[in-house]
Amino acid sequence: MDFKTINTGDAAEVWLTGRLEFTDHDRLSDIIALVEQSAARRFVLDLSGLEFIDSAGLGMLLVLQDETESRNIKMIVRGPAGDVRRSIELARLSEVITVEF
Amino acid sequence: MDAARYDCMAEPAVRGFSLLRDRVPADMAARVVARFAGTMQDHLDEPAARGGQAGGRAVETLLMERADHDRLRAAFGRSPFLTVELGEDADERAAPLDDWSGASAADHPDLPGFYLSLTTGTAYGLQCPVLVCDELARRGVLEPQRRSNVELCLHEAVANAIVHGNLGLSSAVKGEPGGYRRFSEMMRDRLGDPAVTRRRLDIFCRWNDRCVAIAVVDQGGGFDTELAPATTGNKARSGRGFVFMRTLASRVTVTDGGRCTVLQFDR
Repeated sequence: MDFKTINTGDAAEVWLTGRLEFTDHDRLSDIIALVEQSAARRFVLDLSGLEFIDSAGLGMLLVLQDETESRNIKMIVRGPAGDVRRSIELARLSEVITVEF
Repeated sequence: MDAARYDCMAEPAVRGFSLLRDRVPADMAARVVARFAGTMQDHLDEPAARGGQAGGRAVETLLMERADHDRLRAAFGRSPFLTVELGEDADERAAPLDDWSGASAADHPDLPGFYLSLTTGTAYGLQCPVLVCDELARRGVLEPQRRSNVELCLHEAVANAIVHGNLGLSSAVKGEPGGYRRFSEMMRDRLGDPAVTRRRLDIFCRWNDRCVAIAVVDQGGGFDTELAPATTGNKARSGRGFVFMRTLASRVTVTDGGRCTVLQFDR
């Protein structure tokens, strides 16, 4: 998985590409470091360019939700499509995370 | 060397040999029976699958010292029954006697299927489920509309085999505060241990007109199969892999004390 960051002032945005899976735990730490440094009140995780997510990757989204929530930052998962959307729907993640399809 | 006869010396990356299935060591055969009995057998016994069972004893096999994406694609392109990565410092003459489970394929070499045996160090990050699904599609077994679900199930089985099986990591630590960092450190530690990374991950695909079966076998400590969740809470940090498999596959069977997961997909 690769990611790039955009700071819109209002929100810190992280755009993921590639595959988010069990081999990406190290990258999760990098993204959490961005959350820790951010002054924005919104954190947008854009998944529109992500091709695949596995159950470990879904667990990482929940860790990010906890990390943002504990800092009073609103996390929004945006634009999951294809296989990524299928996995998010199968896991019913939108019941606990704000997902904008 | 008792169990193998070298046919030819092809290019250095990939060497062909034949496994002689009547010389598979008894202890290996016993382990294979423990892993696959009752799961692969049901569809192997069907009349449609028995057609070419009377073939010769030799099983076409490719050995490679180190597997990577391109070498595996090239090896699959030659349509061998068994593809085996020897791994670093492995003794190629002893390889057929190692604890990879190719013996089960050698029992019915004329039935359609293929077998891939990799070291954990190679399988980690190789995305072998993608390669295996590509190969199933190339052999006309996996229709495009079913690919996505099969690949996700296989991915979850392989991830479990690598992380919880061969690397011996428990997801429990992820539930602790900051647990993701600790989990990440533990994974790096295990991946740096040659005794761990040389453990094998085997993927065995078989099919007939009605069903595709994919077995994923690891060499870890196994787990209590009663604890594999059929459902999980939507806030749980782990356990979704089995839920995905049970939702998307026609049948999921776990044998050999948790070291073998067999996914079956009706066609």
